[in-house]
Amino acid sequence: MSQSSVFLLMVGGQIESAEFPDFDDIYCKYCFTFGPDWLVTSGLDEGLTQVTKKSRDDRQQFVWNFPLDITFKTTNPFGWPQLIVHAYGIDAFGTDVVRGYGVTHVPITPGRHKIRIPMFVPESSSQLQKLTAWILGRRPEYVDVRVLAQGEGREVTRVRSQGFLTVSFNVVMKDMKKLGYDVIPSEMSTSVIPESVGPNSGGTTET
Amino acid sequence: MAEVHIVGQIVGASGFPDHSLFCKWGINTGGAWKALAGLREGQTQVDTPQQHDAAYWAHPIDIHYATKGLQGWPKIHFQVWHQDSFGRNELYGYGFCHVPTTPGMHEIECPTWRPSGSFKEQVSQYFLGGGPQLKNPDLIYSGADRYRLHTIAMGSVHVRLGVILRNFDKYGIEC
Repeated sequence: MSQSSVFLLMVGGQIESAEFPDFDDIYCKYCFTFGPDWLVTSGLDEGLTQVTKKSRDDRQQFVWNFPLDITFKTTNPFGWPQLIVHAYGIDAFGTDVVRGYGVTHVPITPGRHKIRIPMFVPESSSQLQKLTAWILGRRPEYVDVRVLAQGEGREVTRVRSQGFLTVSFNVVMKDMKKLGYDVIPSEMSTSVIPESVGPNSGGTTET
Repeated sequence: MAEVHIVGQIVGASGFPDHSLFCKWGINTGGAWKALAGLREGQTQVDTPQQHDAAYWAHPIDIHYATKGLQGWPKIHFQVWHQDSFGRNELYGYGFCHVPTTPGMHEIECPTWRPSGSFKEQVSQYFLGGGPQLKNPDLIYSGADRYRLHTIAMGSVHVRLGVILRNFDKYGIEC
């Protein structure tokens, strides 16, 4: 039996809802970024949600309930996938402006996770730029959103956080334990994965 | 060789007296550890929150270590700085915490402290800003010579870290 060195990560979930107290009419664009050892085997790694309005009650929530479904294949956990969501809204003059960027890693443990991501926008460097940005509707944006998934190059950016986005993930892994990776503490010292399952294995484990 | 993957983000900070904060972070290990991939230090964006009190950075951390021994388990240390409207940077706090030793997702709240100077320095810090800083930043995560310091508590840094271990049970390590 050949020892494959590949494990699979299946992520299902949804972009559930968001809170943006000052804005209305928002839609989201999302993308998954990952390291060079990762490959998407099925599902979409980019997409666009619907435009939604705030709820007319005390919660003031935006709800998308947008499905996320993607499966990755990799040999190395380095470069673990991250979900980048950018929310756009319509300003007073009718143009699309950025309302927030958010980024989070796909959880590394199997199971159900609900994560509340803070959303932030880049700030203009001066008051004059702020005024022209507001008038012309050309707010500061990231040229390539994938810079949010990296650690470098962000130290020169000034941002303003406004709002939160709630995403839920259902994570399933295949063959990660077989390759020696442990993501759950309880499985480490007790379980032994049998080499083969069948009538000859005997059903006993060795310590 | 056993391997450790640290996958997570520095979420943000709360409890600091002013907004417009950024964080310089680094991961420090002992001699038996070797970083195979990923950045070991960095600096986050500067965040000024609109409504709430906490600053949010969402700075990703993705590091792959290989190790021959348990000594010198990775420690992540932070320096929280405040950037005012003139572009001056002022130190707001130092803090560190060990990377968790159990695999899985962890939410960590790391408290921070700032060196407090003499009374005269504190008064000048109140009006002008600035203040004493550590000459040697190794003191953030080491215990040697700490007894000389007088410090005051500041806010806390929130980190969400996922730890993936590989081959630790092969070497008989229980964690």
